[in-house]
Amino acid sequence: MFLLMLKRFLRSRIAIIGLSVVFIAGLLSIFIGKQHVLKQQDSQIRTAKFQQEHIKRNVQFHQAEIGLLLYYVQFSLVNQAHPLNGLSIGQRDVNSSIQRLTIRNLEGQKYDTDLYNPSNLLVGNLDFSFVLIYLFPLLIIGFTYNLLSDEKEGGTWRLLSSQSTNPIKILFWGLFIRAFIVIVTFLVLLLLAIFILSLPFDTYLLTTLVISCLYLFFWFAVSFWVVSLQKTSSTNAAILISTWMLLTVILPAAINNYITNTYPVPEALATVVNQREGYHEKWDMDKKVTMDKFYTHYPEFRKYGQPDKQSSWLWYYAMQQLGDDDAQEQSRQMRNKLWQRERASGMIASFLPTLNVQHQLNTIARAGLSNHLQFLDSTAKFHEKMRLYFYPRIFEEAAVNDQNWDNFKVEHYEEKVQIDWLAILAPLIIITSVLIILSGVNYRRKRVI
Amino acid sequence: MRIDVLKLFARQVYINAFKSKAIMALLGIIVVLLIYAAISGAAIYQKQTESRLLYQKQVRENWEKMPDKHPHRMAHYGYLVFRTKHLLSFFDFGMESYTGNAIFLEAHRQNTVNFSEAGFSTGMLRFGEISMSMILQVLLPLVVFFVGFNTVATDRENGTLKILLSQGVSWKEIIIGKAAGLLVLSLSILLLAVGMLVVGCFTISQEGLRTDALYRICWLSFFYLLYFAIISIIPVLISAVSKTAKLALVSLIAIWLVCAVIFPRTSQALGNLFYPSPSITEFQAAIEQDLIKKGDSHNPDDPYYKTLKDSILKVYKVTSIEQLPFNYSGFQMKEGERISAALYNEHLNRLLQIYQQQNTLARRSTIINPFTAIRNISMALSGTDFNSYTSFQEQAESYRYQLAQQMNDLQIKLISNKKLGDHDRPYSISRSYWKSFPDFKYKGSSLREVVKRELFSLVAFFCWILALGVIISILSRRLKAI
Repeated sequence: MFLLMLKRFLRSRIAIIGLSVVFIAGLLSIFIGKQHVLKQQDSQIRTAKFQQEHIKRNVQFHQAEIGLLLYYVQFSLVNQAHPLNGLSIGQRDVNSSIQRLTIRNLEGQKYDTDLYNPSNLLVGNLDFSFVLIYLFPLLIIGFTYNLLSDEKEGGTWRLLSSQSTNPIKILFWGLFIRAFIVIVTFLVLLLLAIFILSLPFDTYLLTTLVISCLYLFFWFAVSFWVVSLQKTSSTNAAILISTWMLLTVILPAAINNYITNTYPVPEALATVVNQREGYHEKWDMDKKVTMDKFYTHYPEFRKYGQPDKQSSWLWYYAMQQLGDDDAQEQSRQMRNKLWQRERASGMIASFLPTLNVQHQLNTIARAGLSNHLQFLDSTAKFHEKMRLYFYPRIFEEAAVNDQNWDNFKVEHYEEKVQIDWLAILAPLIIITSVLIILSGVNYRRKRVI
Repeated sequence: MRIDVLKLFARQVYINAFKSKAIMALLGIIVVLLIYAAISGAAIYQKQTESRLLYQKQVRENWEKMPDKHPHRMAHYGYLVFRTKHLLSFFDFGMESYTGNAIFLEAHRQNTVNFSEAGFSTGMLRFGEISMSMILQVLLPLVVFFVGFNTVATDRENGTLKILLSQGVSWKEIIIGKAAGLLVLSLSILLLAVGMLVVGCFTISQEGLRTDALYRICWLSFFYLLYFAIISIIPVLISAVSKTAKLALVSLIAIWLVCAVIFPRTSQALGNLFYPSPSITEFQAAIEQDLIKKGDSHNPDDPYYKTLKDSILKVYKVTSIEQLPFNYSGFQMKEGERISAALYNEHLNRLLQIYQQQNTLARRSTIINPFTAIRNISMALSGTDFNSYTSFQEQAESYRYQLAQQMNDLQIKLISNKKLGDHDRPYSISRSYWKSFPDFKYKGSSLREVVKRELFSLVAFFCWILALGVIISILSRRLKAI
């Protein structure tokens, strides 16, 4: 019976067209992911090469003053992505994965974005997560909206149900076959992705697999529930498409709007303004004021005293430092606001399967806002480390050639993602179970005849 | 064609729509969303415009307040420029959320436009936003399809169609009449939207912006009218050629999905795949390499600058820089700025060209996808399209260049060549010079330029209406009642 029904289903045109569209889109998305990953890798290789040449050239030009040399020299920090980033590009197209910093003012440097075409962001990336979140549900809807109604409208249902003791079973088999085909299609695509993107077999891949399958089951449950209302095919189609619209377009947009309005970030503009004023006003102030503030921040440097010359690197870097200090309050507030956004999104997302899956996949791929915020923190740490290493050398006017400049390689940051199985699985499982129970109640209340 | 028959069909479609509870619910949702989008859009416009104007004013005041100092200090103090929003951006958000809002302009260095809403987003933004334009472009057509799928097919299924045709009603009358009914339905929503738009413009704008905005609203209404004409004919035609109403509905949903969701994304994605664009690392490294080839002003032994210095000394018949009648380091910086800016612009233009190429496929597809056509026109008229953004970037860069060169000129003219001793007071010039450097003013594209740029989409619309007319007349001869 299974094979017979499978054959019968695969003979329908909508099944073939739907499957091929989703399959081709899936393949395309994998290649788009590959291109994204390659571009990121290429940037890393370039950065490593560039940094070496860049330092070498500047060391050669600025032999006399280490203070002047460090005005120019940039050190890079790379935000390492997981290979799964190829499946879920997330925020990695907007936020640069590489920071190139001088030891001067940090606030003026760390928010630089990557280059991107805004038209792409407007229509959205066609990555694997899009195929999963948007297209697979449509495939499921197309497969199941007329599961029962079609037989009824065609008059074949009576024939079928009279041959079976339990007509629900036939319905179940129909659903099972469709679920089987959808899951197999998904698995084939994922397998291709594993092969093409050389994804490692780790917990993260397993999590992706589990989340995706649960998400697909969720949509089957939605369909099953709508079918259980036993309306006409047209009504089913309209209800299902409206649900899809609601879950993939309207609710996410409304929630995004809510979050943007609840946690606005006017501090962003204030940060740049303050940082710039904070640094530049020091040029016209008494040097002693600046130095005293600087020594309050770093008492360990007090031994270098007050600068005696008109132009002094000690004073210059103190001014740069104070630019950051003056913007610190706004910068901290901005960071808090963004974390609030991230937390609120994660919380609300657990009620909405589409948002939940996107959020989880981005988090796993180290491509979400939380990853970027942590990268910014680690950028600040990296910057501080470089500063503290070079400050004494600049203040003591160390010889440029005393440093082993080859040691300054590109550094890497890799976020450790803890998989919280409960948070990932519970929402999807609960929503799916509720839908199945509701459908069961519907079938019991209104007998399928 | 008889007008009263057309009216009859149109009224029937219109009234039937209002009789159905489900359709009424959907229309109700559309209206609520429209109101919500208008209010939240206007609030966002006001809040952001206010804060940007505030900071822009602060930046200017601080600039003018700067005390006497060396002009090169001012070149590094630089300028902060904030992107101003177009008034109609509250109607069509377009690319607003995806583009940066603030750029720091300084000598020697072209910074990125930072702080986009997209950069601050949790990724949720990628699901899209609800703006008035999005509701009109995407949601309303779906509802029109829901109303229109059974206009002809149901009549066919229950045999009414046969009776109608035998009574002498022509196919043309049926199709056009029913499409007109759908059009009236969508126009009532459009009218509501335009009304809100006008009211919105008058409540949130200052005096000067209104006339231009009103012209633009007229154009917008005209284009949306064309769009809805197309959207109203499609379901009737599909309904006429489908055997059953169910089949018509499924085909219409498929058409909608392909046009509004799958096609725009896929065409843009293919554009990216074929024309890959560089990352910022690659972009900056390429500029730096070119710069080193051309002449590196940081390199004390750079041949280019050495030759430049020698030739200047020769022309002025002096042996050292100190003897020159003008400030040489200012002169050298001016030359360096000229070279680096030219190189940067060359690379930036190349980058923008790649972006244009990426967009080409999607733009060309307007000819087969009316949804893309209305999206592009709507964004362009609302000042939130790709061109508005790049023109902001270009204007900001040209302002940066002027600022840097003006400061260099001041240095050349007013600063001595004599090197200062360790305890001398640094050179400075009067602060009155700062005031004389004008503030940054963003100039948006004029209405005429916008319409000219979007001519292609306009042509696409007319092609569509023409094609649909041809299809109607062919089908009227071929269609059967059963």
